[in-house]
Amino acid sequence: MGEWGQRIRRLVLAAVIIALVVSSMSLTASPRVRVIRVSNWIASAVSPISFSLAWIGNKVGRGVSTLGNLYAVEQENRALRAKLLRYNAMRLELSEVLADNGQLRSLLGLKRALGGWKLEPASVIARSPSTWFDTVVVDRGTSSGVRPGQSVIVPQGVVGRVVGASASTATVMLILDPRSGAGAIDARSQAAGVVSGDNPVSGLLTFQLFSHRPQIDPGDAVVTSGYSQYYPKGLLIGQVIRVAKAQYGLTETATVRPSVDFNNLSQVMIVLSHPAQASVPPIFGGGRS
Amino acid sequence: MAPPYRPLYWIVLFVFGLLVQTALLPQVFPIGYVPSVMVSLVVLLALYESPRRGLGLGIMAGALTDLLGGRLIGLNTATYGLLGYYIAKYQERFKHDQIFVPGLIGALSQLIMALAQWGILNAVGYRLPWQAVTAPLPYWVLFGLLFTPAMGGILGIRPASPAKPRRH
Repeated sequence: MGEWGQRIRRLVLAAVIIALVVSSMSLTASPRVRVIRVSNWIASAVSPISFSLAWIGNKVGRGVSTLGNLYAVEQENRALRAKLLRYNAMRLELSEVLADNGQLRSLLGLKRALGGWKLEPASVIARSPSTWFDTVVVDRGTSSGVRPGQSVIVPQGVVGRVVGASASTATVMLILDPRSGAGAIDARSQAAGVVSGDNPVSGLLTFQLFSHRPQIDPGDAVVTSGYSQYYPKGLLIGQVIRVAKAQYGLTETATVRPSVDFNNLSQVMIVLSHPAQASVPPIFGGGRS
Repeated sequence: MAPPYRPLYWIVLFVFGLLVQTALLPQVFPIGYVPSVMVSLVVLLALYESPRRGLGLGIMAGALTDLLGGRLIGLNTATYGLLGYYIAKYQERFKHDQIFVPGLIGALSQLIMALAQWGILNAVGYRLPWQAVTAPLPYWVLFGLLFTPAMGGILGIRPASPAKPRRH
């Protein structure tokens, strides 16, 4: 009886533990403000050490990669020279288009709106301890005006959005995260959809299109649609590299290469406020003129 | 003889491990390829502990990782806890050397933990492709193989009673 009793007790204990773990995981599957707040407290407490380690790692990593990249740089240099010739020709055409664009903007009254962007620079001090999720910790928090929901950008494009903030640090969910979900449109065809992380290793994004025949092609630029509450309209996300039919062939899915190099992410800009109308942030070439 | 019970030392070690994993290693390894320092630390400590302590230190390491990550709380707590428990339970069967055994178990643990967590995440609705495990696995295994005994040497973690020499 005693042995049976002990066995049953162990089984019940195991069942209770499994139930606890499963309910805890399901409750915290998506980022929640209260849970993120706890992780932010820990991140704030260790932020000076994180910052120092990240700085040391960055310097050492750059030194090592510089040596390793010498051969690659020479090849890249040749390719870039060829590209430069093509871009110079394009620049002449663009300067005409830009002149027209400037006139149109002033006509539409957007000039004033361009000055409405308020950005807060921040340094990345830590990444997520779990390899399956893509979040980073930055060294700016509520004391600098950072709030959950604000978007984070760099001159190359969209980085992600703030999901939690303490006084001195904030957690940013990168668009590479499988649960990021940013509203996006194809800049050429205006086909709309949702962009989220593809898988943690590839560093690519999945663009799930809403339309049945979206007419999207490789090479197209993908920008934020402004339909979601988090990202302002018109921020560059990346470039389409391939298009495929989704499961059952009802919709199409595009694979997007992000314009941001997430492996070398050290400085970012948090968008504290932006004008309600469509406009370009100062670091994208917009701003006060 | 079991080593003295030092939970504060474990916490300090795990916090340091988390800092290395979140701030230093991402500067060296690309996204998705960062190996787990915590797995190596759990292996190293559990190798010389009783199953109960192994379970405790695994839960401690997992809970800290979950709290800092802020998502899917319980995933690391449960898996690290089981890892610590089973390593501590079967550790007496291994010959206690300071390099080969910790290295081998460290490498195997990286493999087992990656597969277990990938399986659990897919079961709860994360559609992570198989490539998310297979592509970085060689890096993780090699890291476990080298980092675990190296950390043991640096921290001076060694068996309380060294293995007896063979009789000829």
